[in-house]
Amino acid sequence: MTETHSFGVSPITCHAWNKDRTQLALSPNNNEVHIYQRSSNGWKLLDILNQHDLRVMGIDWAPNTNRIVTCAVDRNAYVWTQGDDGKWKPTLVLLRINRAATCVKWSPLENKFAVGSGARLISVCYFEEENDWWVSKHIKRPLRSTVTALDWHPNNLLLVAGSADYKVRVFSAYVKDIEEAPQPGPWGTKSSLGTALAEFPNSPNGGGWVHSVAFSQCGNKVCWIGHDSSVCVADASKGNTVTRLRTEHLPFLSCIWVGPNSIVAAGHSCSPMLYALDDNGQLYFASKLDNTQRKEAGGLSAMRKFQSLDRQARIETTDTALDSIHQNAITCVRKLREDKFSTSGLDGQLVIWDLKTLENSIAGLKIV
Amino acid sequence: MSATLKPYLTAVRRTLTAAMCLENFSSQDVERHNKPEVEVMSSKELLLTPVMISRNDKERVLIESSINSVRVSISVKQADEIEKILCHKFMRFMMMRAENFVILRRKPIDGYDISFLITNFHTEQMFKHKLVDFVIHFMEEIDKEISEMKLSVNARARICAEEFLKRF
Amino acid sequence: MILLEINNRIIEETLNNKIKNALAGHKPESIDVKIADFDGVLFHISNVGGDKTKIRISISLKFYMQLQEHGADELLKREYGPLLTTEEDGYNVSLLIDLENLPEDWEALVKNVGLLKRHCFASVFEKYFDFQEAGEEGHKRAVIQYRDQETLYVEAKSDRVTVVFSTVFKDEDDIVIGKVFLQELKEGRRASHTAPQVLFSHREPPLELQDSDAAVGDNVGYITFVLFPRHTNREARDNTIDLIHMFRDYLHYHIKCSKAYIHSRMRAKTSDFLKVLNRARPEPKNIEKKTITGRTFIRKE
Repeated sequence: MTETHSFGVSPITCHAWNKDRTQLALSPNNNEVHIYQRSSNGWKLLDILNQHDLRVMGIDWAPNTNRIVTCAVDRNAYVWTQGDDGKWKPTLVLLRINRAATCVKWSPLENKFAVGSGARLISVCYFEEENDWWVSKHIKRPLRSTVTALDWHPNNLLLVAGSADYKVRVFSAYVKDIEEAPQPGPWGTKSSLGTALAEFPNSPNGGGWVHSVAFSQCGNKVCWIGHDSSVCVADASKGNTVTRLRTEHLPFLSCIWVGPNSIVAAGHSCSPMLYALDDNGQLYFASKLDNTQRKEAGGLSAMRKFQSLDRQARIETTDTALDSIHQNAITCVRKLREDKFSTSGLDGQLVIWDLKTLENSIAGLKIV
Repeated sequence: MSATLKPYLTAVRRTLTAAMCLENFSSQDVERHNKPEVEVMSSKELLLTPVMISRNDKERVLIESSINSVRVSISVKQADEIEKILCHKFMRFMMMRAENFVILRRKPIDGYDISFLITNFHTEQMFKHKLVDFVIHFMEEIDKEISEMKLSVNARARICAEEFLKRF
Repeated sequence: MILLEINNRIIEETLNNKIKNALAGHKPESIDVKIADFDGVLFHISNVGGDKTKIRISISLKFYMQLQEHGADELLKREYGPLLTTEEDGYNVSLLIDLENLPEDWEALVKNVGLLKRHCFASVFEKYFDFQEAGEEGHKRAVIQYRDQETLYVEAKSDRVTVVFSTVFKDEDDIVIGKVFLQELKEGRRASHTAPQVLFSHREPPLELQDSDAAVGDNVGYITFVLFPRHTNREARDNTIDLIHMFRDYLHYHIKCSKAYIHSRMRAKTSDFLKVLNRARPEPKNIEKKTITGRTFIRKE
């Protein structure tokens, strides 16, 4: 079943789950990160991380080492570790950037994380034992605008970044101080940090800002979505060929892989969509996952009626609601389990979608 | 609703729905700032191509969009002098109350009567589809209101003239 | 109240009060009131030499000198006769009412005093109406500068009297609204056959005044009334004067009213727009409120 949780009327900038999905970190569109514990009767607020002084832009929760990394418009990133009392303690990371940080992601091995920023660069951060602090290395070239999205390759050494200059690039994020040199793979052989291994324009003639990027589980495919409402997949095992699908929806903002060949994308259209790759590697639209019908508002109470007349000059009693669960743009999609994912958006709602039950309820839907 | 008004408003509604897909975006130029890029216009890659929708040479809407803000400028029908001053008065009246209106720009851009500036902060606080509804409602009502005001001035003038002359 | 009253109600009420008090035998109280009227006219009601039973009503008109040329003094003498007294310093005409010596028809007297300003204006019209009646042509046109930049011209021909008002619109919007009104006046003759012809010209003075030093400008308008014998004859002339001397104030009063009405409409519409904008704001559900005793209650949908 689809579960809907509401966290007030203010937007949820982004959210992240802990390893066993019992706890949730989310930012209510301000400088704070709230940690919630799931309980039988709703959500219990456990902690508020308020070290940032401007809006939090990214949260990532490393499942195994149980550390949270947050980044914000104040140009800082913090790594939060849980003390024995259950409270979270921050450690400042020197990102050495002079513009807002926009997104953050732990590497799969959780020994590094990457931060994208408005300074037109990516900071790859790792922990230096001898100095007992996080240091960062920069990837600058050839980024020409704000980095909007990041994702790590499963091998822990490659990074894909989407940017407001309409391009998606795959970089080597190999830090020779802490790890073994990578083996040559389909994405290329060069290995020093910051080498751009591939560059894909969102469309041959521009195509809009890239909002989200994601490596597939195998690591050979990269999916991204752009402001031109397109969904694209590049396949390194097929010589970096790109398959592109222009959709009729409003632009998407976030995408994840839910199967070896299936992608869920969600954004300004307020409902998540499933796209898949066919046997020839071409993208196609599989299904709309939110089939909520427009709710017929029941009769209003007299008080509500007068209230709406007084505050909103509305004579008719029906409210215009969108025929979807989310009533405003979805900004963040997270994988929860193999067959579940969660979405959060500007309407302050967090929705958990169960692909298994959706597969059963929507005719012809198959996660491939 | 006249035959040309409906398609005009539909076109505006569709364009606005697409243009109002905004996100938070901090300035690339100035540290710790967040400015509507459509006003700053310093990074070319953050701006979209402006769209102008016109019903006739007087009534048109200019929609300029960027990554974190959209500017909607409306040129209202003004058939004669009196409609012109009524429109001018009304727009000035509203713009003086811009802080209540939140999305109203204090000054229209050149060649238009009124401009709205909608940023990601507005789409975060309010439902986007209802913001679009508001702009459309505004466009519908403003024409109606101006012609009603004009009629009432004319009616008053007629009564005054007749009453005065009747006494002779 | 579409037409403006030509009398001064404050003067009437003040005097009525005083007289009623005096007739009822109450002790008279001292008085010292200044009252402003249209066209920069100022009234002063006071006691003469501290005598509380003597009430003096003085009027000051900036253009009284010009009216005097057209026989204002004579007209006032005719209207008020023994009431006239030596004018107070800084005023043009003064009337004196003695509370201890009131005539039987004091109510009519008070009414007439209330019309003091109208009578001041009347002289110039009466004079030119007489010229027309007598068929005398060629008299110099009367020029009364009744406000700082606004002038009244009266001219008599054998078959008509033309009255031209020059008026200044302070606000650009006033010109436009004024034009709407004047357009209607021009066409208003259709509604009433007895009405005089009204002409209107904007920026430039009408042909009759082309040789004069009449003002020219974007904010200047000229309104010409062509009065025929049916307006200027002995029976009709009082009514004509009543109407025409207030015309300028009537016009501007209604322009202002129109603006006030537009303003109130705009205010209403703006608040309406705000409410429509409010529809876009999400309403928090389950609002917690505190009662005055400190208990909380939660409103559920």
